[in-house]
Order: sequence, then structure tokens, then C-alpha cells
Amino acid sequence: MDICATYERKLQDQQISPPLAAILSLSELCAASNAGTMFELVKALNEGADSLRRNSSNPISLNAGCELFIAFVTLFPHDSVPSASFSDLKMELVKQGQSYVRQALTYRTKIAELAVDFITDDSVILTHSYSRVVMETLLLAHQRSKRISVFVTEARPRGLGVKTADALTAAGIPCTVILDSAVAYAMEKVDFVIVGSEAVVESGGLINAIGSLNIAIIAKAANKPFYALAESYKFHRLFPLSQYDLPSHNPRILSFQTPVEQDRTVEKPSSSASPNTRSVSGALSSITQEQIAKNNPDVDYTRPDLISLVFSDVGSLTPSGESPACFRSLFFFLTRLFL
Amino acid sequence: MAAPIASTSNGPPANTSSPQPSQKSMTKAERRELQEKQRAAKLAQAGDSNKPKAKPKADSAQRKSSNAADKTHSSVDASKSQAKDVAASAMDVEAATSKSRSLRIFSHFGLTKHGHTVKGDIHPCIIRLALQFSEFRICGANARCIATLTAFKTVIQDYTTPPNNTLSRHLMTHLSPQISHLVSARPMSVTMGNAIRQLKLEISGSDIDMPEQDAKDLLCQKIDDYIRDRIIIADEVIQDLACKKIKDGDVILTYARSSIVEKVLLSAYKQGKRFSVIVVDSRPLLEGKVLLQALTSAPPVSWTLSNDSLLPPSPPIPCTYALLPALPSLITEATTVILGAHSLHSNGAVFSRAGTALVSMMAKQHSVPVLICCETYKFSEGVMLDGFGKNELAPSHLFQTSTQVPNMEILNPLYDLTPPSSITAVVTEVGLIPPSSISSIPMALGRITL
Repeated sequence: MDICATYERKLQDQQISPPLAAILSLSELCAASNAGTMFELVKALNEGADSLRRNSSNPISLNAGCELFIAFVTLFPHDSVPSASFSDLKMELVKQGQSYVRQALTYRTKIAELAVDFITDDSVILTHSYSRVVMETLLLAHQRSKRISVFVTEARPRGLGVKTADALTAAGIPCTVILDSAVAYAMEKVDFVIVGSEAVVESGGLINAIGSLNIAIIAKAANKPFYALAESYKFHRLFPLSQYDLPSHNPRILSFQTPVEQDRTVEKPSSSASPNTRSVSGALSSITQEQIAKNNPDVDYTRPDLISLVFSDVGSLTPSGESPACFRSLFFFLTRLFL
Repeated sequence: MAAPIASTSNGPPANTSSPQPSQKSMTKAERRELQEKQRAAKLAQAGDSNKPKAKPKADSAQRKSSNAADKTHSSVDASKSQAKDVAASAMDVEAATSKSRSLRIFSHFGLTKHGHTVKGDIHPCIIRLALQFSEFRICGANARCIATLTAFKTVIQDYTTPPNNTLSRHLMTHLSPQISHLVSARPMSVTMGNAIRQLKLEISGSDIDMPEQDAKDLLCQKIDDYIRDRIIIADEVIQDLACKKIKDGDVILTYARSSIVEKVLLSAYKQGKRFSVIVVDSRPLLEGKVLLQALTSAPPVSWTLSNDSLLPPSPPIPCTYALLPALPSLITEATTVILGAHSLHSNGAVFSRAGTALVSMMAKQHSVPVLICCETYKFSEGVMLDGFGKNELAPSHLFQTSTQVPNMEILNPLYDLTPPSSITAVVTEVGLIPPSSISSIPMALGRITL
């Protein structure tokens, strides 16, 4: 079976986020595989996860889902199915995976319930790009008749901020799209920042759409709270030391642009090691948005000391304080949650 | 002292006994004169009584400090059958401690003593090990722990349970003097403490009904397992994890010498990563030279076949060696700081070779990530707030300073404490963890071994 196609199909559902899609595709792979032993099954799953990773431009969040499911399969008590045939066990794994995803879809409501108390009446909120859980929280606050107004960043290059603005305006929440470069200008008017996340990492930091780090730094400088919302399946066993330590980083990102004619040769990562021959000729106007986006990162890593609170379905956590402490146990705990 | 206006009858008892005319009959001037006189007398008396008092106090303090520093020593020294040279060495130490009066506030660090004697039934291999410890021939938390455990294996094998005793009850009483002998040579490291605690647990849990040789073999097996699981394998996992954080073109800065950092750098190099290393070092131990030696003499990878093409041997790791004062100008070059640790405390503070704190704080200041490589068996349950509460002084006879100025003592603490705020991550065999979550690790390990 083609796991990547399955993954893409699962992602069509608006409610399904990459980690959940990964879990669903892996559990389908599990059902379709003809592995006769646990070892073979785990091997097949690892291969599936690898091909998903290879085909994705930004493997971080889907990797969180893959790791979670594979860890769950390896830790799954083999005697939990009474009939004890291996195909039964596989079916049980698939069932558990699907029920986990069903359960995981309720997490956003839980998070919204937790976070909505932090939204006071008449507050001005800054958010970044588009996030389902942030939308749910803002809409819940609106339902609770809290008069909020929202600034949303345009979030180049994907421009998803417009999507957020459309949805919020449709719901009747006053909303303004601001430029990514206008965040510092707007920050003084803002009461707090609230963002979603691609992944929450072991250091307590956050991986999110590019620009989140800028917002976090500006919020810190302006002494405004910076809240992050993350479902627990987005917790990822990863410890980035810097932006360049992320799995999504590749040599093409931030490489110095050579003149357009030589662009073909630069695309090979091996030859990009010698970007000495850059020349900023008069070709500036010919640079398109796509070209800019190509050399720019999709996600960035926000350090834990910039984040005030992480709202998750397992509770509100402080990133720099005790959340790392419970992080590890949380990971093991999560695999238990499946059962 | 009574207020000047207060009536003189409030004076000290010694003065009130002197005949006094009724105050009311005195003039104001007279009264004042009397008061002044009394005050002067009182002062003189106080001065007199102070002087002799102060002296014994200082003396006793001095004696106390020299006693305290000498306590472990004298407890080891059997005073009963003291050979002459022993007495002489004891006097030397006495003289040394009285000379080091200026370091009194550091006397609790426990000066490492040399020329200690053997008391009781000490196994020869422990005696040899103690000498190696005190001469710093075996140095470093891992090396000392492995050496201690290996020596204990010999001790256990050579031990026979006396009649009417069981191994599980008696062996520990046999080991205790061996341990205290080692401690008298050099204060126990946290790693040794953890390992010995585990060994004690194993001994007390050993089966009474088991034949003695079997029980001893089992204990030796347990010791081997401990060394393998908690040190050797742990180091391999740490190597893997830390190597992932080293990329081509990186400049790794390290301080002094840690066995695990050395392994990490060498294995990253062996994996074909091309990076350079800055070794920062400092007196008195100058351990960085050893690391430099190991890194630069790493055998260049010979001609290798890869993708059907013969690759030439790569040059050794490019290294820069500098002393601590040069750190500020070098830290800007570094991309990652990788350091070792002596022990790690539950508040996330790292106890390591003196100078480590300086390096990591400087790195923090320049936002260079600081990685601490540390096995989980180095974790200590206590909380440590500074490097003064507990430390160790480098023995002056081993690390001679070039100039000996009379009345000047050199203070060489061996360790310092790095606050958790200046550490990015701790690389352990259970993964990379932020220093603030250190305390959760024993729980993650199920608290079976710590």
C-alpha cells in the first residue's frame, strides 16, 4: 500500500492534524501488512514512517505521531488480546490507534476550556498564522460573550493568517491582519499572544510556523505573556540546541543566492557549501515570492524562556519550570493513554 | 555601658563596692568626674579581661581547625604502634596545617594527605589503589569508580566468611575499613558513593543459603554488570546522542579533560564529521593537554573505499589549545560547548572541574549552547548551591607552584559548581534533558539503581 497517499488522504480532513494523520496511516499500514512477528511489524512501521518523512518537506510534526504510534506498538502488552493470534493483535493495534485518534480530536476542546479562562473580557489578542486549536479557543471565548479583538499576522510565505481572519470575521470577532514585520508596532496594543504549535520539544520549547520566534522575542521585550497551545500528541522527543539543529533544516535554507542562471547547480546540497560567488546584481526585481520562500525556513524553534505557558490537554504547563520535569514521564504516560 | 546620666549605682558590682558619697550631696561637676573615673576603670577592666580571653579562643580555634583537618588522618594512624617515620609525617602534616592557617575557612574541604598509614585489615590492592588516588595517578569520576569496583571484586574474591557469620551480614563490615582507607587517601567521589551504595544493597540482599563461592561470584557478576550498564554502555549511548549534535564545520569548545567528551569527539570524528576543537585548560592540573594529545594523535583514518572511489586519509582533528584567560576571545568562535561532569545534583547544578562554571557562564553570555555529558550514575540526590559547601583542594605537594613565597598559601579547589541556568542540556543515556528536569530521571529509571 502507498502510505504517502494514505497520509495525504487523511490530511484532507480539516480536523486531522499531521501527527494524527501519521498515526492513522501507520495503523492502516499495520492492518495491511502481512508481518507474522512483532519484529517484522515494527520494521514495516519504521519503513513506513521513513517514507512519510522523506516525502514531507517538514517532517517534525508528523514524526511526533509516528514515534508515538511505534512506541505504542512496541510497548503494547502482547497478552492483552485473549485470543492471542498475531493477526488479532494487529487488529487490536489498529483499533487502539483509531480510538486514540477519535479521543485525540476532543483534545482541542479540552485545551480551549483550559485556555479560555486566561482570556479576559475586552482583551486584544495577537495570534500567528492559522491553528485549529487557537481558532477553537478564540471561538469559545466569543461564545462565552467575551469581547475580544484579534490581530493576526499575515504569516508569509503560506499566508494562512488570512484564513484565520476570514474565519474569525465570519464568526463576528473583530480581526485585523497585520504584516509579519508589523508585530513590534502592534505589540503595545496587545494584551497577550496566543499561538498554536507544530511540536513541543523536550526542552520545553516550541516549534511553530516561521515568525513565532520573532513574536515571542518581541512579546518578551514588551513583557506581554506568550501562550502556546499544544495537543499532547504534539510532544516530541527532540532537543534542538538552535534553529539549525532542527530536522527541517537543510543546507538550502538561508544559502546565499547565486545569480539565477546558476541556480540549477546550487540546488544540489553538495555544491552549496561554497556560496562565495554571490553577486547581488541588478536582478533584484526578478526575485519572486516562490524563490524567496524556497530559501527560507518553514518553522522556527522558540526557546522555553520566551514562553509563559503551554496549554495542553494534560494541563497548563510552564515550559521552563516543571513541564520538562514531567515531560519524560508524560511521554510514557501518553503511551499508556492509548489503552 | 550605662548611659552617662544613669545613676552610678547601676555600675558593675565591682565598682559599687567602693565607698561613694551620696550622690545628692555632690555637685554636678563632681558627679561627672566620678562617672568618668568609673567608666575608665570599667574600660581598663574590660580590656584586661578581654585580652587573656581572646587568646585561648584564637588558640582553640586554631587547634580545632588543625584537629578537624587532622581527624581523619589521626583516626587512620594507629597511635599505638607508631613507627618513627609515621610520627614524623604526622608532625609534618601538623606543621602544614598550622602553616595553612590562612586557609582556615576552606579547612572543611579536606586537604588530601600523603603518607597515610594502614590501619587494620586492608587488602593490598586497596592500599595500592589508595596510593594511586592520592598521587592522582587515577583521576576522574569514571576511572575512579571503575578502579574501585574492580578492586572490590578482588577483595570479595579473597574474602572468606569467618565461622558463625553469614556473608550478607559480615562482608560489609569487612569492606567498610577498605572504603574508609580509600576515603582517607582522597575524598570519595559521588560516583563511588553511588556504586558503593548499590554494592551494599546487593550484599545485604544476597541469599544466606547460597554457597559462599557462588555468592561471591554473583556479587562480582553484579559489579561487572554495574560497570557495563551504568558506565560502559551508558557512555556509548551518550556518544551517539552527543555526536548527533556535532555537525560538519562546527567548532566545539571543551574545558580540561573528560573521558566521555574525549570519546564523543573521537567517535564523531570517526563518523566522518569534520569539525575543529578548542581545548581550554587551566592550571594546576592542566588536564587539557592529555585531551589534546588524544585528539591530535587520533590515527588518521586510512585510505577508505566509499562509493567505489578511494578516499585519502583525513587529517587529524584540528585543535586549538588555550588557557582559561583566553576564553573570551575564543568563545565567539565556538558553536557548541561540550563539557563533562563530576556529579550532577537534583537542582540541575553541575559539579565539575574548577573553571567549568566560568566556561559555561561565558558560553551562556554569548548564547553558545552548553552540553554536559554525564551518565545517570553520577546523579546525586542532594541540592548544591555553591562550590564552597563541599569541595576538594589539590594537594600542594603534587602541583608545585613555581614560586614559594613565605606566608602565602595557594588555594587550589579542584571543583566548582555550574548553576543550571547556564546549561542548555544534559546528555545522559536516557536522552537529552534540560537541567531543570534532572530530578525526574531517577523516577524515569524506576528508582532501581540510584
